[in-house]
Amino acid sequence: MSRSNRPLWMDALTARRSRRGVIGTAAGFGAAAFASKLPLGPVAAAQDSAAADITGDFNWKREDGKKIKALLNVHPYTDALKADLQAFTDLTGITVEYDEFPENNYFDKLTVDLQSGQGTYDVFMLGAYMVWQYGPPGWLEDMKPWIENPSATNPEYAWDDIYENLRTADNWSLKVGEPLGGGGQYALPWGFEANTIIYNTEVFDKLGVAPAETMDDLVALAATLTEKAPGAGFADMYGIATRGSRQWATIHPGFMTQYSREGGKDFELQGDALVPVMNSDVSVAFHEKWAKMMKESGPANWTNYFWYEVGTDLGAGKAAMIYDADILGYFQNQEGGSANAGKFAWHPGPKGPDGSLLTNQWIWSLGMNAKSQNKSAAWLFLQWATGKDHLTMAAIEGNMVNPVRASVVENAEFQAKMANNKNYLETFNAIIQDTKILFTPQPTFFDATTLWAGSLQEIYGGANAKETLDALVGDIVNAAE
Amino acid sequence: MATDKPSQQVHQQAIPEAQGMAVAASGPAVDPDARPRSIGGIGLDLLTIAYFAFALFPIIWILMLSFKSQDQLFTTYFRFDPTLDSYKAVLGLSSTTESVPFMKYFLNSLIASFGAVAVSLLVGVPAAYAFARYQFKGANDMLFTLLSFRFAPELMVIIPVYVIYQKIGLFDRHLGLIWVYQLITLPLIVWILRSYFQDLTPELEQSAMLDGYNRWQALVKVVVPLVKPGIAAAALLAFIFAWNSFIFPFILTGSNAQTVTVGALAFMGGAKPRYNVTAAAALISLIPPLVLALSIQRYLVRGLTFGAVKG
Amino acid sequence: MSVATANPPGSEQDGYVSPARRAWRPYFLVLPALLLTIGILYPFVQGVIYSFQNLKATRPNPEFVGFRNYQRILTDNDFWHAAWVTAKFAIGATAVETLLGVGVALLLARNSKVSSFLERFLILPLMIAPIIATIMWRLMMQPSVGILNYILKPIGLGGIAWTDTPAMAMFSVILIDVWIYTPFVALLVLAGLRSLPSAPFEAAAVEGAGPWFTFRNLTLPMLAPYILVAVIFRFMDSLKVFDVIWGLTQGGPGDALIAIQPKAYQEAISFSNFSTGQTYMVILWAIVYLTTRLLISVLGRAQARAAGV
Repeated sequence: MSRSNRPLWMDALTARRSRRGVIGTAAGFGAAAFASKLPLGPVAAAQDSAAADITGDFNWKREDGKKIKALLNVHPYTDALKADLQAFTDLTGITVEYDEFPENNYFDKLTVDLQSGQGTYDVFMLGAYMVWQYGPPGWLEDMKPWIENPSATNPEYAWDDIYENLRTADNWSLKVGEPLGGGGQYALPWGFEANTIIYNTEVFDKLGVAPAETMDDLVALAATLTEKAPGAGFADMYGIATRGSRQWATIHPGFMTQYSREGGKDFELQGDALVPVMNSDVSVAFHEKWAKMMKESGPANWTNYFWYEVGTDLGAGKAAMIYDADILGYFQNQEGGSANAGKFAWHPGPKGPDGSLLTNQWIWSLGMNAKSQNKSAAWLFLQWATGKDHLTMAAIEGNMVNPVRASVVENAEFQAKMANNKNYLETFNAIIQDTKILFTPQPTFFDATTLWAGSLQEIYGGANAKETLDALVGDIVNAAE
Repeated sequence: MATDKPSQQVHQQAIPEAQGMAVAASGPAVDPDARPRSIGGIGLDLLTIAYFAFALFPIIWILMLSFKSQDQLFTTYFRFDPTLDSYKAVLGLSSTTESVPFMKYFLNSLIASFGAVAVSLLVGVPAAYAFARYQFKGANDMLFTLLSFRFAPELMVIIPVYVIYQKIGLFDRHLGLIWVYQLITLPLIVWILRSYFQDLTPELEQSAMLDGYNRWQALVKVVVPLVKPGIAAAALLAFIFAWNSFIFPFILTGSNAQTVTVGALAFMGGAKPRYNVTAAAALISLIPPLVLALSIQRYLVRGLTFGAVKG
Repeated sequence: MSVATANPPGSEQDGYVSPARRAWRPYFLVLPALLLTIGILYPFVQGVIYSFQNLKATRPNPEFVGFRNYQRILTDNDFWHAAWVTAKFAIGATAVETLLGVGVALLLARNSKVSSFLERFLILPLMIAPIIATIMWRLMMQPSVGILNYILKPIGLGGIAWTDTPAMAMFSVILIDVWIYTPFVALLVLAGLRSLPSAPFEAAAVEGAGPWFTFRNLTLPMLAPYILVAVIFRFMDSLKVFDVIWGLTQGGPGDALIAIQPKAYQEAISFSNFSTGQTYMVILWAIVYLTTRLLISVLGRAQARAAGV
């Protein structure tokens, strides 16, 4: 290393990116180190579960008079829950107190509480990815023993009614790199988002274009829209909005969906080691394409786009289409929800070269604090909140879309309600079988994916994709140590 | 000027205000009669207006935002159909389940900020007096320790404080906030008042004591009234910083003691970001510091004059 | 504030109480403040202890690792990048706020009709919580629906991507900080201006000194202590910058705005690498502490000079 004799800070000042140069070697070491440096937390064994204490017939009133505390994220799902909470208290005699925080701060709040080990909140909302961070340290209660205990769970619960891919997503062995769908059930699916194209039909009709069926077509379509829409009476309109901020949330929606359809992977298990492979040829090509599309046909300030800018631009008629959560379009499409409400339609998005419709999903789930002092009452709440009655009511009367239960999606009232969202249900049915978590489970998910978003921004800013992604791989390895 | 400015009696440098301002202006303005209506004067007025346009535009824009409806939020600039919906949502007058108990948070903020400033004044005024008037062993170390809390990143203490509060039951309690706000308010108040006391000649207490007051009475009845402007200015600044604090109330409270800074952000979540409601919440939470500032305006600049800098 | 300043002579001339009582009196007066701060000192020490451990989510039972965290961080270019971002921000923001704040104070001290009317609005930006102010600025800066590009368009400045490049992001974040805190500087300096003695200025006027000469040789030296106090407060707080950066871009684009405190926050809270984040914060605390001590000694000298005028 030519600079090795200079103080580090000089490198930092003069050639910021020079640390990337070290990566070639670091990646070599790192692969082994990465796996060995991720110790596993205590895994709660099923026989230890407090669920075993529950015997006799199932009884909703078992914990009559108890009080539990919930930590909730400000969300339409939460609104539907709050509206129905009295029904739960009437049914069980349990009162629920809750604290509510907006999403940008919610997980920090939850992490601090779980980290402190104080058990302030008995139940809370979390995403499937959070299981990878919160599960290994033993912060989450395994709910499998509860579900399987007929004394604890009401006979109507119908666990299998929840889509299998969703159940699997919260089900993990806590072993780094091991696929989902084994071990404990660390959270219960509650509501979810699949990532699709949502577009403004008025623009598409006027310009006579149709949603793209391949990635190359998508890039071209976005460019066409950017070029032609402003001249067709849509002032300042551009082709496509996606998230672009320096957050893990930039990677997981449209980007990860299309990345996977094109054959991209995040990690590969090589022997005992989990190796980041975002620098593969397929990946480099995709990053270049995506960055080019956003640069040419995306919003001017793309690197500062959170989900709400994406939704806002669609609603305000600035973005012709978005590749993001299907429900983001749904909320903009409701009457009074935006200036263009009623004009949006859904499409599964471009297929992969092999016809793949793999779709990444975000699942709002409910979890139980392993340190909770009220587990039995908390479990009554959780099975009620993820049960058929509440979820059906929440989907029809509230805005609990997408439903996690097949019975709710098939419900005629729900179908009627969704009918004015053009192709929403068709799209849903087209992708639901292929909608799953497309990331490899590992506890440094947030570090790695935040770094990933930073690298995508750099490529967007003009950096060489191959070099940037090589550096990313090295940084992920370092961060895991 | 200013019969309400007792400290002038003892501050040798004090001069009539108008004159002071005239000389301070670095122009031909030394002669007050020559000042108005000159070309240069108009130019300087325009510069003043330019700065205030920059400073006030965002606030005017926030005001406009607070009167916009959700569907006009992102499609209109200056022309829109004003509505009071955002204020109704903040004040809890709309019936949707999306409402946030903002007025409760407002009250919480008042309790925590006033409480914090009151505690800081109660313990800070005697301490500032001691640091100004006495040379005693360890004084410098104690003073610097006190001030160094102002250097600590808030995050550095937040998790230990969280764990302690959970254990001793101060989590989500007003008292917990009042205590942790001392990190913000106490150093500021001691800093400003200590130098303020130093500006007062000790002969003041001595003559009061010759008049038959004991030392404590001399302090309370003679000295403290003289530093009132300093106390008012320091208390206002401390109040504003406590009122605006975000990270402490965010981590250390739940639904019971949550404050307006955290509460206003809650409108940014959900299906759509409700900037309009957040704007209304920000404006409503502007009221207490504004009322305070207006009520002590005559003290503010003068209070800082002697306080913040000397020593 | 110079801690070592001598107390006014004669302050101990107090004939009414015994020397012993007199000796204890200052401690008695300081005691409540000290008791209160001990309550704060404990979590502070606890925070420092964490920095010598290896606590993270996946390692709930930490061990002591000595200075290993410090060694690792100080030899990591990520730290030096964060330090560089912090320095750029702190120096940039403090410099602009000071220059602008002094300018505004001078304009307001003219006491013309316009400036006296506007002075009452000076403090308004300080009263909106920085975290909320930043969210509002963020919306204003959004190119598609924000108002800034809309009103800048007629003068040919439309289409600014406020946070798209590292340089623009730094500019924007400093702009927001300047908007919030310039009134603070202006307020302190205005207070100073209004307390300046008039005699030297009258003398200068009699001598026929020009405005620039007067400003350079009289106003500025006498004002220096006030300006320095403002600089100390602002510099100290800008080194700890968090709200404005986090609210605007969460550190992006790339890692362009990952200053020390955002980095520490991300490590400690978002990623649950608790000891790493804590170590960053202790280092930041040391930086702020040392810088402030240095600035305060400069202030002491400036005060001595100003007093000599």
